[in-house]
Amino acid sequence: MAKLEAKNIVKHFEHDGRQLTAIGGIDLTVEDGDFVCLVGPSGCGKSTFLRIVAGLEKPDEGQILLDNRPISYTGPDRILVFQEGALFPWLKVRDNVEFGLKIAGIPESERMEISNRYLDMMQLTKFANSYTYQLSTGMKQRVAIARALVMDPAVLLMDEPFAALDPQTRDLLLVEMQMIWQKTKKTIVFVTHNITESTVLGNKVAVFTHRPSTIKKIITIDHRRPRLVEDESLMKYQQDILADLRPEVKSKPVEKT
Amino acid sequence: MSADFSTQGQVAPDSHKLKRVKLDLDDIANIVLFLAAFVGIWQLVYVLGIWPKVSLPSPMIVATTALGLVEDLSLISGIGMTLLRLLVGFSISMAVGTAVGLVMVRFKGFGKTMSSFAVGFQTFPSIAWIPFAILLIGFDDYGILFVVIMSSIFSVMSSTYSGIRNVPTIYIEAGRNMGAGGISLFKNLMIPAATPSLIIGMRQSWSFAWHALIGAEMLITAMVGLGFILSVGRELQIMAQVITAMITIFVIGLLSDRFIFLKLEEKVRAKWGLNQNNG
Repeated sequence: MAKLEAKNIVKHFEHDGRQLTAIGGIDLTVEDGDFVCLVGPSGCGKSTFLRIVAGLEKPDEGQILLDNRPISYTGPDRILVFQEGALFPWLKVRDNVEFGLKIAGIPESERMEISNRYLDMMQLTKFANSYTYQLSTGMKQRVAIARALVMDPAVLLMDEPFAALDPQTRDLLLVEMQMIWQKTKKTIVFVTHNITESTVLGNKVAVFTHRPSTIKKIITIDHRRPRLVEDESLMKYQQDILADLRPEVKSKPVEKT
Repeated sequence: MSADFSTQGQVAPDSHKLKRVKLDLDDIANIVLFLAAFVGIWQLVYVLGIWPKVSLPSPMIVATTALGLVEDLSLISGIGMTLLRLLVGFSISMAVGTAVGLVMVRFKGFGKTMSSFAVGFQTFPSIAWIPFAILLIGFDDYGILFVVIMSSIFSVMSSTYSGIRNVPTIYIEAGRNMGAGGISLFKNLMIPAATPSLIIGMRQSWSFAWHALIGAEMLITAMVGLGFILSVGRELQIMAQVITAMITIFVIGLLSDRFIFLKLEEKVRAKWGLNQNNG
């Protein structure tokens, strides 16, 4: 069953007084429970596409359907995990995680119960009363993920959430992210420029073309989990994706690993 | 694998306490030494007789005068009245200034124009309001209040306006994405995110109000107040009284800034993690 559908999304933007087309018609169907990774050359508009799905930007053409209903505004049914810097510094970790629940008017005792569950899932229980500036980058992203999960969104959107992490922390979170997906059965759309990351996480990988971007190919990866970064059996997928991406990268080399 | 998690997040629970202003013995010794040197030089100048004794009394004469002013309650009631005027004027400035600042945020065209006016009025000397206040309102407490408010309200306006406008877009997007909008976005996100700059504006506005108040008390002849003690001292040529009032004004300004506003600012900065390099 299609959970999320993008129909012919087009987005233009102004650059030095000229109009450029960032997204040139994206069609994408995400099934319920899919873990879809979007990979593409940097600046190809994959993050912009994700922001359109989140409702933070409006497409110039096309529409996004969630459970067959068109979306027009941002809302907690599509929670976005930002790359970094979106945690609220004036709130403790627990209050950051409970933010959306508080907005939704959920009583304190219930909020506490829900946040405890996800603080535990993200190994944050010990840090519940810390402020976010006291945490490492990796811990901050755990808080961001917990804050998204408590909202129980229909679709979880992630915009390069591990791009700023050191490799060890990232590898650990890649494994955990798979366990979270299996445990919560969430539908996830995950943007990354990292090919290995996309093959480790996604059961589908959508390869974007260069600007104006379209989806070049969707690769299905039915492989046992948890997958690790060093899994050799993922190599052939990675080489496939790389072969698809190489012609799309005009000036910059594709970053692998 | 899970055993490694605890080392992933480095928590420094006490680091935010390090930057607090704390008087240690060294500081106290320095202050005492500085004051002793100051009084010593004053006494020396007095003994040398460069100025006649009525023009420059000794520290001892000033201390005696101060004690007299305390005993006949004029200094105490002066301080009380001055602080009352300051509090009333400052509170009105805060309330109205914040409200106008919020309207400026809400209506962009008005906000842009008003913020230029506000900058102009912030640099406008407070003393230049006094003739206007006397003619418009009169030689009374309301005239003084008017000057205090006009001198401090514009910095509240512009700090509210710029503080809220400078809330990072990513916070607003995250908040809206999690379902906040309208009043709830404002209350749960904009205000707390802007608090550090609101506090700085508050501190600046307090100091503008204080400058304006003493001037207004001197020129709009109030019957009670530190400014009144100053101007009576000048008229009756009692230099010891003038110096007493000056010292009192200095101490009140210093104490209110150090122990109220700076403390508040540091507390907020520490809580927001703004004292950390990694922010």
